Amino acid sequence: MSETRNLDLFPPGGVPENGEDTGRGDPTAESAQLEVWTPSQLNRALRLMLESSFGSIWVTGEVTNFKRARSGHCYFTLRDDEAQVRCVMFRADAAALPTDPDEGMTVRALGSVTVYEARGDCQLVVRTLEGEGAEGLWRLAFEKLRARLESEGLLAHERKRAIPEFPSCVGVATSPTGAAIRDILSVIGRRAPWVRVIVSATRVQGEGAALEVAEAIRSLGASGLVDVVIAARGGGSVEDLWAFNEEPVARAIVECAVPVISAVGHEVDVTIADLVADLRAPTPSAGAEAAVPDSEAITAILDAAAARLARGLRGAVRGRRASLEGQRGRLARALPSLVTTRRDALRALSERKLRAVQRTLEARRARLRVAAGTMTALSPLATLHRGYAVPLGTGGRVLRRMGDFPDGLEFSLRVVDGHVECRASGSASIDEAGA
Amino acid sequence: MTDKTDGTGTASPDDLTLEVRLGRLEEIVRMLEVEEPDLERALALFEEGVGHVRHAEELLAKAELRVEELLSEKELRPFGEVTE
Repeated sequence: MSETRNLDLFPPGGVPENGEDTGRGDPTAESAQLEVWTPSQLNRALRLMLESSFGSIWVTGEVTNFKRARSGHCYFTLRDDEAQVRCVMFRADAAALPTDPDEGMTVRALGSVTVYEARGDCQLVVRTLEGEGAEGLWRLAFEKLRARLESEGLLAHERKRAIPEFPSCVGVATSPTGAAIRDILSVIGRRAPWVRVIVSATRVQGEGAALEVAEAIRSLGASGLVDVVIAARGGGSVEDLWAFNEEPVARAIVECAVPVISAVGHEVDVTIADLVADLRAPTPSAGAEAAVPDSEAITAILDAAAARLARGLRGAVRGRRASLEGQRGRLARALPSLVTTRRDALRALSERKLRAVQRTLEARRARLRVAAGTMTALSPLATLHRGYAVPLGTGGRVLRRMGDFPDGLEFSLRVVDGHVECRASGSASIDEAGA
Repeated sequence: MTDKTDGTGTASPDDLTLEVRLGRLEEIVRMLEVEEPDLERALALFEEGVGHVRHAEELLAKAELRVEELLSEKELRPFGEVTE
């Protein structure tokens, strides 16, 4: 509204500039000429005058009686030592408040001055409310939530789960179009391209972003597919990152079935997500680096393992060989004495055997002597010795009977020391019994 | 040795994850180094270990980043198909 247009709204004669002059004149006369206003007219005029003359202003003071109505509008009073002003914050603006300010908290309010016509109250329509100092109200909201989570033990260090060393699948809860996902995919693609990445797309800022981020984390955890979740967002102002300071995100991280890495792009401040996450990374890229191992590191591990395997096998072979050598050594040492022992044993054995053989021979010889004696006794020579003689015919045939001696037969008589030539001249039989 | 059930000598399937392979490798190497197994078992362990190394190296060599988007808890599609 222009200045001229505003001035036109004032009733005729009601121009304030004339006030001083009229006051010195005849009051009665002057008063009689004045227009009569209704409260509505007055308040409306006041409202328009105030609204046009102030525009947007910052007002600082202490907050008292902050109330959030069921409609979503917020009502409170700003005051200093001597004065106070009523304030209203309509629902759309109030929804952006990270938290309600504490009673007595010093704040800065950006708004416009107006008059609530129904009551004639002057009031400040606040569009932005900040705690004193940068991020004051954000800080307050942060501290309130932090204290609550801490009292539940959710920030405890013992709660932190280890990030898997060699994940097969990494879940990423972030905006599908932001710098964060580009950075993360680039890092994983470079370091660990065998890793599968599952993105759960979500808005990361704006109204309702916290609920979306929370749902993205939750669904990744519930999918059963991922070994670790990265909750990521690129850099931004405190307001931009606010979703990561809200309770739904914190709860989703705490309840997630797998470890969660917070990777919100802000180096300085810590978010609630950082506090409850199993690992805090300062940037999305750092989050990705923390989530996956470097292929070079794995190659080194594999090389080392291969070397150790070979060494282990060689060791096993060497151990075998050593024990074999040991056995051979013992055998070698054992052999000579074994041979000696055997030789001695053999010698003892052969002597014994020799003696036995000799004994046998002796016995046989003795028996032989006896037999020889017997044989001597039976020998025909012995008979010849005793005086018998044997008549032998031609060809050495023994002549035994009378019939063998025809008269005139010449025969040889064998006696003990030679032969006697004889001639048969008659024979006579004798009876058998006398023979 | 009586035990063949601890994995020794079992085939090393191609679909084992890198994590499983590296874990088993560590186990095998430790067994070889500490337990001083007999030769036959040492050979079996060595063979299995070398298999894990080879498979892991193959996995590293031929890997290409696979990115999918989670639509619901069970539904996936290749990432990047959606327009902004």
